[in-house]
Amino acid sequence: MARSILVIGAGVAGLAAAWSAARRGARVTVISAGVGETALAGGAVDDVPWEQLERAARLLGSDLPAGDLAPAMRQFAAELGLWDVPQATGVRLATVAGRIRPARGRDRALLDLTPLRRTRVLIPRAARAAWDADALAEALTDEPFARARGLRFLPVDAPVLRFDDERRIADGDLAARHDDPARLSWLLERLRQALDGAGGAGAILLGPWLGARAPRAEALAARLGVPVGEALIGAGSPAGLRFEAARDALLAAIGAPRRHGRVRAVGGGHGGPGEPGEGVAVHVEGEDVPLAADAVILAVGGLAGGGIAYAPPERFAGPDLPARGAAPFALSIEAPVTMGDARGAFGVVSSMQGPELDVIAWPRGERPGALEAVGVRCEGVRAAPGILAAGATLAGRARTVLDAVTTGLRAGAEA
Amino acid sequence: MTILPSSAARPARRADTDVDVVVIGGGVNGVGVARDASQRGLKVALFERNDLAFGASGNSSGMIHGGLRYLTSDPHVTENSCRDSGHIQAIAPHLLFRIPFLVPFENARHGRILYTLADGFFEAYDKYQPLKRGKPHARLSPDELRRLEPGLHGDLVGGFSFDEWGIDGARLCIANAVDAIERGARVYVGHTVERIERREDTGEVVAVRYRDRVTGEGGRLRTSTVVNATGAWSPITASLAGLPASSSRVRPGKGVHVVFDRRLTNYAIMSKTIDGRQIFVEPWENMSVVGTTDDDFYGDLDQVRATSEEVRYLIQGIARVFPQIHEARAIGTFAGVRPTLYAYGPTEDALSREHQVIDHAAHGAPGLYSMIGGKLASFRLFAQEMTDVLARRFDLGARCVTHTTALPGGDRAVDALALSRRLEIDAVAARRLVYRHGSRALRIEERVRERPREAATVCPCEPVIEAEVRYVLRHELARSVADVARRTRLGLGACGGMRCAARCGQIVAQELSLPPRDGMRQAMEFLSRQAMTRAVALGPEQARQEALAIASVRSELGAPADDGMTAAACEDGDRRSTRPAREPEERAWRDRSS
Repeated sequence: MARSILVIGAGVAGLAAAWSAARRGARVTVISAGVGETALAGGAVDDVPWEQLERAARLLGSDLPAGDLAPAMRQFAAELGLWDVPQATGVRLATVAGRIRPARGRDRALLDLTPLRRTRVLIPRAARAAWDADALAEALTDEPFARARGLRFLPVDAPVLRFDDERRIADGDLAARHDDPARLSWLLERLRQALDGAGGAGAILLGPWLGARAPRAEALAARLGVPVGEALIGAGSPAGLRFEAARDALLAAIGAPRRHGRVRAVGGGHGGPGEPGEGVAVHVEGEDVPLAADAVILAVGGLAGGGIAYAPPERFAGPDLPARGAAPFALSIEAPVTMGDARGAFGVVSSMQGPELDVIAWPRGERPGALEAVGVRCEGVRAAPGILAAGATLAGRARTVLDAVTTGLRAGAEA
Repeated sequence: MTILPSSAARPARRADTDVDVVVIGGGVNGVGVARDASQRGLKVALFERNDLAFGASGNSSGMIHGGLRYLTSDPHVTENSCRDSGHIQAIAPHLLFRIPFLVPFENARHGRILYTLADGFFEAYDKYQPLKRGKPHARLSPDELRRLEPGLHGDLVGGFSFDEWGIDGARLCIANAVDAIERGARVYVGHTVERIERREDTGEVVAVRYRDRVTGEGGRLRTSTVVNATGAWSPITASLAGLPASSSRVRPGKGVHVVFDRRLTNYAIMSKTIDGRQIFVEPWENMSVVGTTDDDFYGDLDQVRATSEEVRYLIQGIARVFPQIHEARAIGTFAGVRPTLYAYGPTEDALSREHQVIDHAAHGAPGLYSMIGGKLASFRLFAQEMTDVLARRFDLGARCVTHTTALPGGDRAVDALALSRRLEIDAVAARRLVYRHGSRALRIEERVRERPREAATVCPCEPVIEAEVRYVLRHELARSVADVARRTRLGLGACGGMRCAARCGQIVAQELSLPPRDGMRQAMEFLSRQAMTRAVALGPEQARQEALAIASVRSELGAPADDGMTAAACEDGDRRSTRPAREPEERAWRDRSS
């Protein structure tokens, strides 16, 4: 009989784990409680933190180092259909904050600047809060990459907003309007006029507005004849919505049901005869009967995703001091695992009010902050018998999207 | 108040000076003197090392309270504070808001006796309330207390209400500085005075040497008179003139506040800490503030931060009467250092809040004065006393009118709702705009009328519109993202600047003709500095927000404090001059002030 695997969390790590386990013939169920890190992320498919990549390139005096991808990773990306991850090179993305940054891959709606040389990139002006085409153009033109490649960013007057309320609505809502083919054609006309008005250009950079169900940039670019794409926004981008749509399609394709529910506890100990330690019970909030699975994959995210909770010990103390010193981080699910950060497992704290937080909250240079690095300690991806972890749930460093995929695939394979 | 024997009176306005008076320090006392002296016709230059309201003035509890605490020890401090609180209401009505206080009394040992004693105490305070349009106190039963503030906890014998006024101390400083500039003063923000030059024979002040801390450019300004209004920095400033630090001594007392994301209570609530000190949680503007500590401080005055122990101490004290504080979402802390009068022996709380003008002629430095001590509520009076000394020195007949002349924006009321309709902005945004700028909000409206896209919201938490950011950069001496935050509260709300710091950096770079990279670097510095102040007060929700903010900043801007970016910014330093110069009108105020 096929092994039954329960994946907790439906972000990129959970999806990769489910896909990988299903490919090996397991019966997979995905359970998730709501929006997590992936759904809030911007659509850059990162390998290592990008500024490290940049520094490495500078030191080597070469272009971006980009290792070959594992075949499983390539296949996963292909089946997901959302990302463009070139085989052995990186991409360059423009951020709304005005930087040009490398990434290993991108959501297909984002504009890749890598192929452009000695040309102009048009940035249409739009009366939206986070979109100042003039400031953005100036900042991007000033970036070293743009200067090296002779890229000039040019703010242009092109009415890309159709209705008055579009000055105020959220990026995601504006992106959703571009799912309508008629609206996309309307935009195409405006962009064509902008191109003609400017006497041609190498590309057009827009805000994060190009589709909520699927990336619409490539269709637009094909009809327009020049690349069109979004700028990267750090959090709250419609790239999260596009991921959710692509994820649901992929889960349906591999036949893994997805259910909503908040997992309260994961416990081992109902090991069947002959396989001691394997077999895990999963208690879901509001359900009396626990779910049983041969293995559980924790892909609940880190602190930002809500998978790890921060609970300072003195917080819930009354007039008295807390009962004992404790590390202030805990998995949001009860599970027989140990927590830790980049420096190791959390030990017994010598202060009744937990460790001093003053200097570890914000990252500096290469060192990740405690808030990013905290997670479940694992042997590879194994946290405890029958319990595996993937993505940002893993302790050690700030996890990137590729990291999440890799650990997810591995967890799925090992489960 | 003590005035040391004054130097021989003689007209000191001389042809060989560039300005009559140099004021050092851009806190509330410094800008107060600059305003008063300019009003009375003196040529003034003011130097501020960091930013206006950077120290105690911008990090106070945000009240011009009457000084209830000093009623028994320094009753005339209370009276002066109340009277001047009334004056501030007259000249800057837009900046004030009422904060009614509740003082619950626990049913502990001697609880009833203390309660009766306190009634007499509040009755004494009522005498001063009319000076500041305050309401008299009320005796409240435990039931009445709980009806007014259902979150109150504990076995209470009763309580009192009394009345105070809240104010944004930073805005008060800005308003004074802008008024001084409009009356001809020159204000150098971000400039440090490196030396106060004196004649070798007579010891008289002849000039100050200063340096721009950003560009490194230096200069010399000839003057006969220097006012040291640097608060906790006073001894350091005095030593720039070659005087011993003991000539201008303060007892620096660090005060810490914790900020919560919303108004948790209708009333400010007084409580006691474990060591019996009075602290409070107050609804302040659109958030709640818990304060304050008072501890001797001898660290780096430019880097004052709250520690997690101080935060715990405060929260523990408030939780005794208001336990829900444990569940509330802390979004930051701020800290300042009070310049209390020096005394060896008393505990911090028992130190006098009086103020004092020191004439350093007594130390062989005629022309140098130090302003020591004081409180936010009586800053205008202190400035008046200081300027009276200057007026005698310069033989001026003009009298002080700072208590009858409105501060910029305080001359007339503006209808915020009508403004929000005209600008098509959120009513809350308009209300906040009018609160901060009074009638000057109409000048910001002018900007929006000319460039409608500046009605866009930059900071959605506070909220702050783009036109205001550009306005404070052009007309209120802001030079960085942090300066904009101090003036508009941009980025100090629930999201911690995650959604607005980078955008604000772009605007700063544009307005000040800096390379775009500098704007990003400023945004990053602001974010990491704010994150440090928040870290000590983190709760569960805020920690999640924080982690998300880090991820977002990493993705958009790069690793926080990434050295590669700073290095690149340095390489670009020489390109600054290639930027097109601003239009002459836009430079106008800058020329006046530099």
